[in-house]
Amino acid sequence: MRDNASVRPHDVGGMGGFGPVSPDEPDEAFHADWEARVFALNVALRRRDTYSSDEFRDAIERMPPDAYLASSYYERWMRAMTTLLIEKGVLAGDPGADE
Amino acid sequence: MSDAAAPSHLAPGATVRCRAQDPSRHNRAPRYVQGRVGEVVELRRSQPLPGESLGGGGPAELTPVYAVRFAAAELWGAGDHSVTLDLWEHYLEEAGNPGAEENP
Repeated sequence: MRDNASVRPHDVGGMGGFGPVSPDEPDEAFHADWEARVFALNVALRRRDTYSSDEFRDAIERMPPDAYLASSYYERWMRAMTTLLIEKGVLAGDPGADE
Repeated sequence: MSDAAAPSHLAPGATVRCRAQDPSRHNRAPRYVQGRVGEVVELRRSQPLPGESLGGGGPAELTPVYAVRFAAAELWGAGDHSVTLDLWEHYLEEAGNPGAEENP
């Protein structure tokens, strides 16, 4: 679906209907241990130059819209990392698979 | 990100329009500013154009990035505040005198 980039689901700036933004408490960086692990894994992969920041953002934006909107912040990170690692042959898997 | 500088063609105060875009890859011009007219505040720095560095083609060409201010009324139709965001020169075209043409 890369040809439909102009309607990528992340681009919701100025769009109504999502309700108020409720910032977390400043000391609440992660809501679960797995989120911290996802964060650390991404740092490690970026430092190894496995992928670039732009590739990572692109991979998040390539998520199917229904999955994107139903996912939490770090769920999107996890999914983007998985997508890139499969596409680059680091992980075995089908890049076209939905899950 | 980088201390290198690309030649810049837009001066502070320039009236610019963010181009409508249909990129096939990551881009950093949100839909809500595309087609809208704003004012260059300052040159920020030069950075590779997002999306062009994808696909293993090596580092993308450095492009000037500007802080561009848009009136809320231009973006949303109402409001006295403004929204300033960083936009790559590739995303912008000079819009001349915005009063001389109808806004979209």
